[in-house]
Amino acid sequence: MNDAQTITVEVIGVEQVTPLIKHFKLAPAAGGSLPVFSGGSHIIVVMQGAGRVHKNPYSLLGSPLALDTYEIGVRRMEESRGGSHFMHDAVEVGSRLEIAHPVNLFGLDKIARKHVLIAGGIGITPFLAQLEDLHGGSVPYELHYSVRSSEHAAFLQRLQRREGERLHVYYDSEGQTIAFETLLATQPLGTHVYVCGPVGMIKHVIATAQSCGWPDSHIHWEQFSAPPVGDAFEVFLARSKLSVHVPPDQSLLESIEAAGVEVPYLCRGGVCGFCHTRVLELDGELVHNDHFLSEADKAKAKSIMPCVSRANCKRLVLDL
Amino acid sequence: MLITGIKSKPVYAPLQTDTRGRYHLMLAMGAGAAPLLRVIAEMRVVAGPSLKNTRVLFVSDAAAPEVEQFKAATVADLQTFPSTPALLERFRAILQKSLMGTRLYVAGPESFIGLAMKIALEFNLNKDEIRAEECGTLARRVYCIHCRATTEDVRTNIVSCIGCGRWLLVRDHYSRRLAAYMGVMVDAEAPGELPPLKEVFL
Amino acid sequence: MSAVFKPEETFRGDFNYSNSPQAVRRFPLPFAEDNYMYSVNIEPHLPGPLGSVTEFAFDVDEHYVAECRERAIVLATEPLRYQAMPHMMSSQWDCLELIMESLAHDYPAHFSLAKQGNRWHWINRPLEIDQHFTFGDTATLPREPLDYITRQAQGDFVVMDQREGDLWCEAGMVTTQADWSLDFDLGMTFKEWHGPVPLAHELQVFDRALKFLLNLRLGQPVRRLNWTMTINPRLDTSPENYPQWGTDRAAVTAQNAGDLVHLRVELQGLWRLPRSNAVVFGIRCYLISLRQLATVPKWARRVHRVLKDLHPALVDYKGLTRYRDAAVQWLAPFDDGSPTTSGTAPE
Repeated sequence: MNDAQTITVEVIGVEQVTPLIKHFKLAPAAGGSLPVFSGGSHIIVVMQGAGRVHKNPYSLLGSPLALDTYEIGVRRMEESRGGSHFMHDAVEVGSRLEIAHPVNLFGLDKIARKHVLIAGGIGITPFLAQLEDLHGGSVPYELHYSVRSSEHAAFLQRLQRREGERLHVYYDSEGQTIAFETLLATQPLGTHVYVCGPVGMIKHVIATAQSCGWPDSHIHWEQFSAPPVGDAFEVFLARSKLSVHVPPDQSLLESIEAAGVEVPYLCRGGVCGFCHTRVLELDGELVHNDHFLSEADKAKAKSIMPCVSRANCKRLVLDL
Repeated sequence: MLITGIKSKPVYAPLQTDTRGRYHLMLAMGAGAAPLLRVIAEMRVVAGPSLKNTRVLFVSDAAAPEVEQFKAATVADLQTFPSTPALLERFRAILQKSLMGTRLYVAGPESFIGLAMKIALEFNLNKDEIRAEECGTLARRVYCIHCRATTEDVRTNIVSCIGCGRWLLVRDHYSRRLAAYMGVMVDAEAPGELPPLKEVFL
Repeated sequence: MSAVFKPEETFRGDFNYSNSPQAVRRFPLPFAEDNYMYSVNIEPHLPGPLGSVTEFAFDVDEHYVAECRERAIVLATEPLRYQAMPHMMSSQWDCLELIMESLAHDYPAHFSLAKQGNRWHWINRPLEIDQHFTFGDTATLPREPLDYITRQAQGDFVVMDQREGDLWCEAGMVTTQADWSLDFDLGMTFKEWHGPVPLAHELQVFDRALKFLLNLRLGQPVRRLNWTMTINPRLDTSPENYPQWGTDRAAVTAQNAGDLVHLRVELQGLWRLPRSNAVVFGIRCYLISLRQLATVPKWARRVHRVLKDLHPALVDYKGLTRYRDAAVQWLAPFDDGSPTTSGTAPE
């Protein structure tokens, strides 16, 4: 992404929809319409925090047909390094933010014969926009939505109104769980499954689908990792000939950007592989937090995704 | 014009069991029985004596020796068909009721594989759900790019189109949607100048 | 460039076609050096210099009206030169929007688009079209959206769906192509579709191009140039009609090559589409005879050298085998061996 192409938006609505989730409505500050997008897209929101810039990915949850506003849902992360706390504590109606053009890394398969959507908590957001495309179409679909309790069921009324019996809600508080094995063992040929939610749920759905014989090409998932905190370390950028300090609560990518070096990225959540960077020298170990590199590649320690991954090391040299 | 070495030409590999599959649907024609019998033997090592989730559809005379071999291999569900179209009709009906977790194995001549794959595509079976091994004749289905007729069972480098009669050069460019190779008029630049007829797809 | 249309031009039969002096000067020569080999020559599709073929997203030039008529002639006898698979409908509307908005914005004298919500009003003055329709409702247009709008555009269009980490050629309007068939290639993956191209696979050109295109961003289109040669200013060099144009190649001599042999350049543009997340691939064809090309001395020297030393596999793939030598002979007198400046500008 090129930051020069961000769009300035004004926050025109903030609603606390669950104890942990706020719903934001963003309108273009210059008036007019926002870019058209497809269901499953996310935007990067650029936040000017105290002394540092946060750039977090959030799925667009509004209708792709209503382009006077974008809607996002932000869950307050317990171990946030600031992005979600900034959105919850510092952003209010009238605040201005910069956003990047939408990118879709979680699109629906257009030749699927059926869609099964599985959401956990805040993972409902990309599906809200996809349902706008699915609703009224000829391809059957169903949505399984798991939440802690009724007070945590964000956007439930919107879903119930539209989806009727295609919607299945499960409350942890009442001991309800999705019967993944039954669900995935009984789907017709040509079905695709999509899952978005906590990492444990995603892993469980993938493993269950595989054990039911699903091939990988029919299993889709999205989880944006927030860059975890870690120990401070130093990195040397070989091509830029720059030494950069990475503090505990700032990601490697953010630190490199703060030093004035551009790294291409799309998701900033360890998914897309765009910021893939070659490791030239390493004395220590890499802490891989991404979902992109294979286990084998992670073990080789020859490359790193600086958006979410870090290092415990005496020396790290990157090809940047 | 590139005739061979075109990357759209399908690549086949010897069939192997896909142990991640839950249901195994197998299609064979003629010499294709042998690779299926090999895979079934492999499966029995893992699954034991009963192969309840395995089905075989076989284009063959019901009295063919392979039928007995399939029965001896304890395939619970074996059906034989007098022709490829009869088999494909049954295949389509089975796919309509099949579940995710199904793996497709196809063994036989490429034209047979192609027709089966064409139907599998309609059901959104992807590359990671299908395995195919080519055996038997290399004869091709050739789609005439000029009149859109498909000439079956082509064994020669050039062929007279069943639709328009033009002499077509058979290229390695392959369409899975059409289950056919591309045929393009061979003497369009110099009418009547034909290369020698050679049997190349035997 | 404020083009004066030449509606009387033809791309078949009497081949009544030429480039005006202004059109020659803006011809997109694809050779920045005196030799040629494949590369991933993709660059951002940013507005080029005033009057150049890349000034706007879609170039409308003096051949516009005649090229649209040529497309209609092809489709009248061969309707399958336009095809779209059923799941491509949202991408069809994306394409219609992209083309209408670009043309209306860039050429307000020729095209206008007024929107009231989903109720759109499209005016194409050169083709005398005035159409009210409801965006998203196919029944309000005389044809499918992609069919409708690409009959009013120069160049071919292919729309690729993105899934399974690949791009699938699943809709298109292809009537001005360099010897490939949409009807045959529909449904193919990116690499299957490009299967017949020699050498480039080994150079990993398609691996790299695919990886790049899978990450193509909204609002950040890219372009590249490709080329071949064609006998006569014939737009429809389809494999379907090869029996009609194949014999042309045998008619070339060192004496007539200047008028018969045309350099055929494709300005290829690629856009991410917003509703469908598909990618549209525009392939705009420019034709110039060697005689007109040679009015620019630098281009004559360069094209002479490129053709003379072209890799044999490319000579074969581009179908130049029968007449390459004649074209080289015809160009030879224009090449005094003096150096050419780098870049493609006429000097």
